[in-house]
Amino acid sequence: MKRMLSLVVALAVALSLAPPVGAQQDTLAKIKESGALTIGTRTGSPPFAYINKDNQWVGFSIDLVEQLVKPSVEKAVGHAIKVEKKESTPPTRIPLLSSNAVDLIAGTMTDTPQRREVVDFSLTFFYTGAQFLVKKGSPIKGVNDIAGKRIASQQGSTNAKIIREKYPQAQLREFPDQPAAFQALIQGQVDAFTNDGIQLAGLKAKSPNPGEWEVVGDFYSEEPYGMAMRKGDAKLKAAVDAGLKNGFESGKYFEIYDKWFGAKGELPYPMTPTVKAYLLKQIGK
Amino acid sequence: MSYQFNWSVLWSGQSGGWLLQGVLTTLAISGLAWILAAALGILAGAARTVPWRPLRAAGTFYVEFFRNVPLLVWMFFWYFGVPPLLPRGVQDWLFNHRAEFWAAMFALGVYHGARMSEVIRSGINSIPRTQFEASVAMGLTTFQAYRLVIIPIALRLIVPPATNESLNLLKNSSVALTISVAELTFQTRQVETYTAKAIEALTAGTLIYLVLCVGIAWFMARVERRFAIPGLIARGS
Repeated sequence: MKRMLSLVVALAVALSLAPPVGAQQDTLAKIKESGALTIGTRTGSPPFAYINKDNQWVGFSIDLVEQLVKPSVEKAVGHAIKVEKKESTPPTRIPLLSSNAVDLIAGTMTDTPQRREVVDFSLTFFYTGAQFLVKKGSPIKGVNDIAGKRIASQQGSTNAKIIREKYPQAQLREFPDQPAAFQALIQGQVDAFTNDGIQLAGLKAKSPNPGEWEVVGDFYSEEPYGMAMRKGDAKLKAAVDAGLKNGFESGKYFEIYDKWFGAKGELPYPMTPTVKAYLLKQIGK
Repeated sequence: MSYQFNWSVLWSGQSGGWLLQGVLTTLAISGLAWILAAALGILAGAARTVPWRPLRAAGTFYVEFFRNVPLLVWMFFWYFGVPPLLPRGVQDWLFNHRAEFWAAMFALGVYHGARMSEVIRSGINSIPRTQFEASVAMGLTTFQAYRLVIIPIALRLIVPPATNESLNLLKNSSVALTISVAELTFQTRQVETYTAKAIEALTAGTLIYLVLCVGIAWFMARVERRFAIPGLIARGS
């Protein structure tokens, strides 16, 4: 038993020493050698990254990597590369990155100050925020119309916190999960359900009568999605950002957005002028 | 792992107010539900022992129907299932007047009423049959015999298991958070979300439940002593 314990301790020490050694490495040099950019992405987050009916691993985030980031990295390393995909989930994505199992996280990761202490983020490639799901024709058009109204939210979410602190006139009802809150909205227990806009759009699309519902309001919280890389990997970050920047400038990015989120896309979620301005502002426009 | 304890999160900011609100809501919901449960329990428990078959059947149906479905399902039933059966105007009025609170109260009261009735039935069954026969021989009707003799004795016999049931009721009121009632467990989690101090928040919740339950148990022990019938119950002390 004692010997086993010392083995475990030795292993733990070895592991805790290992990451700093690998962390300094230049990922672009590694890609140049291996000829592959390994991304960590989702398998069940349509339309960002998921496995479709035909068993293909596709999505908005994957298209951005294939069509914008890949050419830019190829330019930087000087030859053609291929993109390899591995599954990553919210709890595993940062460990996968720091253990060098993947080079880039491209999925649905929100760029937050806390995460910036551990990883670097690319330019924001998708921007969502809290909105409201309401019955079509509801008098609620945004966060300024909710005084006295019954508003559902998810327990412990940032949205609930903001409503409670900044809009105390609203009657907040907090539910443990999304289906319960949506059920309460369907039956009229509440007048609106607030959550990240893209989640509401997904909920609406999956509902039996999508035409009955509407996602309304300007964002009253911010959820920018970025691609994450190992901290301090400046060359890779420059290549990834250059690819995205090029996409914004050439309009290619907006074509890809339209393919997934346009009126005929997988999940209609039209880009508002505010979001477009935010995305373009990143590249100085 | 080094966890930094910070107990002041429990009284700084809004935490104290939230916890207090949670306690009040828990007490209100449990108190009202307890009254409903006791009333339904006595009615159904007595009904299952009377010498008239239709009433016994009705009592049995109530008990088996309500105690054999999980409380969580009853919460959803009263909150999501019942309102659509009401006229639209009544629904709107309810939704603006804490529908979730009343739904949770009914779910809790009706569910625990079914369990309470079994306790009361066993109390009634433990009274010798001759008591009932003597009451009837004195000229009381069955209803009078139950009201004046059988139930008053039964209620005194069942204080310990009824205490148990009451404590369960109080603790089960935490299920109401699933239909957005801001009771004690809900507020505990709220404090946890806001302060990221899980151990402190949960400790506070645990202690409050403990104090409430021990308080009830102490009160019920006094009730038991005060109303004990000398000679009928063998007392340990």
